[in-house]
Amino acid sequence: MYGRVTGVTVLGVGGHLVTVEAFVGRGLPSLMFTGLPGAAVNDARDRIRPAVENSGLEWPLRRVVVNLSPGNLRKEGAGMDLPIAMSVLGATAQVPARALTDVAFSGELSLKGELLPTPGVLSVAIAAARAGIGTVVVPSANAVEAAQVDGLVVVGAASLEEVAGFLRGTWQAPRVTHRRAAPTPGASLDLSEMRGQHQARRALEVAAAGGHNMLMVGAPGAGKTMLARRLPTILPELSREEALEVTQIHSVAGLLRGDGLLRERPFRAPHHSVSIAGLLGGGAAVLRPGEVSLADHGVLFLDEFNEFRRDAVEGLRQPLEDGRVVVTRAVGSVEFPARFTLVAAANPCPCGYDGDPRKGCSCRPDRVQSYRAKLSGPLLDRIDLRLRIPRLTKDELLGSEPGEPSAIVRDRVQMARERQRHRLLDLGVTCNAHLPGPLARREARLDPAAEQLLARAVESMALTGRGFDRGLKVARTVADLEGAPSVSEAHLAEALSYRIGFGEQDGLARAG
Amino acid sequence: MDSPVRADAAAEHENQDVVPPGYPAGFGVGKGERDALLCLSTLRGITPRRLHTLAWEVGSARACVGAIRSGRAGSAADRDWIRAADATAIRGQLAACNGRLLGPHDDRYPAAFTDLLHDPPAWLFARGLVLEDGPDRVAVVGARKCSSLGREIAHDIGRRLGGIGVQVVSGGAFGIDAAAHRGALAGEGTSIGVLGSGLDVLYPRSSAALLLEIAERGMLISEYPPGQRAEPHHFPARNRLVVALSRAVVVVEGAARSGSRISVDHALDLGRDVFAVPGPVTSPLSETPHGIIRDGGTLIRGADDLLADLGYVSALAADAVAPSGLSDVEFRTWRALATTSLPDGIARTAGLAVPDAVTVLIRLELRGLVRGVGGRYERTLAGALGASGA
Repeated sequence: MYGRVTGVTVLGVGGHLVTVEAFVGRGLPSLMFTGLPGAAVNDARDRIRPAVENSGLEWPLRRVVVNLSPGNLRKEGAGMDLPIAMSVLGATAQVPARALTDVAFSGELSLKGELLPTPGVLSVAIAAARAGIGTVVVPSANAVEAAQVDGLVVVGAASLEEVAGFLRGTWQAPRVTHRRAAPTPGASLDLSEMRGQHQARRALEVAAAGGHNMLMVGAPGAGKTMLARRLPTILPELSREEALEVTQIHSVAGLLRGDGLLRERPFRAPHHSVSIAGLLGGGAAVLRPGEVSLADHGVLFLDEFNEFRRDAVEGLRQPLEDGRVVVTRAVGSVEFPARFTLVAAANPCPCGYDGDPRKGCSCRPDRVQSYRAKLSGPLLDRIDLRLRIPRLTKDELLGSEPGEPSAIVRDRVQMARERQRHRLLDLGVTCNAHLPGPLARREARLDPAAEQLLARAVESMALTGRGFDRGLKVARTVADLEGAPSVSEAHLAEALSYRIGFGEQDGLARAG
Repeated sequence: MDSPVRADAAAEHENQDVVPPGYPAGFGVGKGERDALLCLSTLRGITPRRLHTLAWEVGSARACVGAIRSGRAGSAADRDWIRAADATAIRGQLAACNGRLLGPHDDRYPAAFTDLLHDPPAWLFARGLVLEDGPDRVAVVGARKCSSLGREIAHDIGRRLGGIGVQVVSGGAFGIDAAAHRGALAGEGTSIGVLGSGLDVLYPRSSAALLLEIAERGMLISEYPPGQRAEPHHFPARNRLVVALSRAVVVVEGAARSGSRISVDHALDLGRDVFAVPGPVTSPLSETPHGIIRDGGTLIRGADDLLADLGYVSALAADAVAPSGLSDVEFRTWRALATTSLPDGIARTAGLAVPDAVTVLIRLELRGLVRGVGGRYERTLAGALGASGA
């Protein structure tokens, strides 16, 4: 009495094939698992028998052993319920063994035998397709998600009974309708809604074009959040691979609502009280992606940047450098993609009104100083664009012309990205922000007037070491936006304007 | 309950017109008297004014100690403090930070302090150079939380005063105070910092390096014994010493009800000249200077006006002109900066595209003629005074 089916367990965002074998032999009725089952899989022990019996099928009143292999891989997730049930049904010949080959199963069962929406189905489908398996059987709620993978027959079933029917050839799965979301990212938000803030709007464009991270310092209500929310609307559209990766992560996190591929770049804005696990990924039994991974290919917005826990912020260094985050816990170690643009925002001082021409700051100078000290640190070195966002007066608001719509800006961004990709092809980077320092100097290609300006900037102490490299990278992006082969004086000057001189306090070094 | 406060107030009222200025002969002279001064300096309840009255009632520092020990003067807490006071220990602490004790009949006790009719300090702790009565002294005071422009102006005034040998007196605090001290040192002049804490407590901590430099190239003075932390109520008392030491007081920036206003009240009591640098009428930091000007203080536009008014130079400041050596677009941009403005506003006024205006602004910024403040741009002091930008 032996049965064997294929399931998929999801670790991190990746799916791994698992061979599920069942043996029904002599002994007191029991169900036993071998082969490193995780907590959620062990849970299935008491769930599967009622599910089978409530589906008009029979549970063998004998000793059942289920083995999950490879044995060195920890099996996680409720998605293993269905393959385990099918292996037992196969072993007791309730479904034809022939029908169990070339099929992968995934889905969580209820006691009534229904198939419940299950996280990570996209990863399951991708793993199955990669292994050359022709058919996946998944909960009907996840069918659209699985159908995003090409070359795979997707069977969306609502219950265990339907799955059995499908294998016996007595039930046909309804056709999966590809309800792909129309590619209209950020339809609700547009850059043209920002009045005034010319410099900030332009800085967003530069950030999007060069992949630069950004820090905005300004009074409450100046518009920092409003600006940050509009960054995804001017980033290039997601490619299909990127969209798959984004969808996969959201699927694993259980945040997908069965809408097919995510076409919009994610925008994540965790509160500053977020835990390290919440920000970077983690968890006790199941390792879940954190905010950095949910923001993959999108924007991670950290408002009140210096209120975040120091260790959490330090943890951002790895994803900012490598585009991925490795989470290690007692249950194992997994890797999540985390390639995002960081937008940090902070008030200039605890009360928020330092530097405001009309409303005076009411903070004690030493408190301002310690508040700003929190803004420095190694992470700040990875932020190329820094700017003050002034709180506009009524006249300044009314006197400003409305900005360009996102679509026009995005076209320029896309062209600038294309130029960078072309130019940087041999260097193994895709955008200016990722250029290492020495290469930034070589790649910038300054014209004579720009050289002169740069020399002057270095002389007047406005620029030092890292600030120098940052300035060149940003200048290069400004030139790319214009399609200019070399960096002119105007490009460099604009780049130099995206820095913050915290010269307003005694004894404070310039943070730019 | 027998209230020492009420007794104090009554005594003060009775004696208001009869207490002579300064201190009785022999007060604080000789080792025993100086030890008594050290002990008295540890008291935190009795005011300088009350102590001054007491000194004239009983005649010597030792007798003052006796009066406080016996409970005839001071509070119950003062009585405990005077019992715990250890003159030798204080002398040791003082020596450790190179400080000296000055009694009111000491040669180096500034005669200017006797202008404080009711509350001249009965002792002083000094560190650094010798306090002489020769050179003129001018106080430069203002907001701790000041603007960049205010800091530049204070620095410039300090530098110019220091450059002609006038000593710059201030409180060693953040902002205007620190800028004035720094300016005086930059002008190779002498600066005097009057602290609201003991001489070995360098407060604010982040200005410790500056205060040490003042101690080396000028002097620090204080009414408080070594080890005494700065308390909020020390600063108004400290301000009276800053003013008394100086022939004139310059207020650069100050919000309403600021410490600078208290300094000016002292200056008016003592007959010192009062100068104030105006600012935008919309700025909260202009409130104290503008109040002073409306009350009859002298408006100065910067160091030139001050030096002329004090008689050190003859010519007043010239009217502001554009810096020399500007190109056409640079001049248009500079002229558009009459007030602090956004880059797009500047571009509109100057008739330039925004990126061009930004280029010019950065060029001007690198020449020190303009600066960015909270996302807007403004002229620097050098730019406003028309200094050559070459």
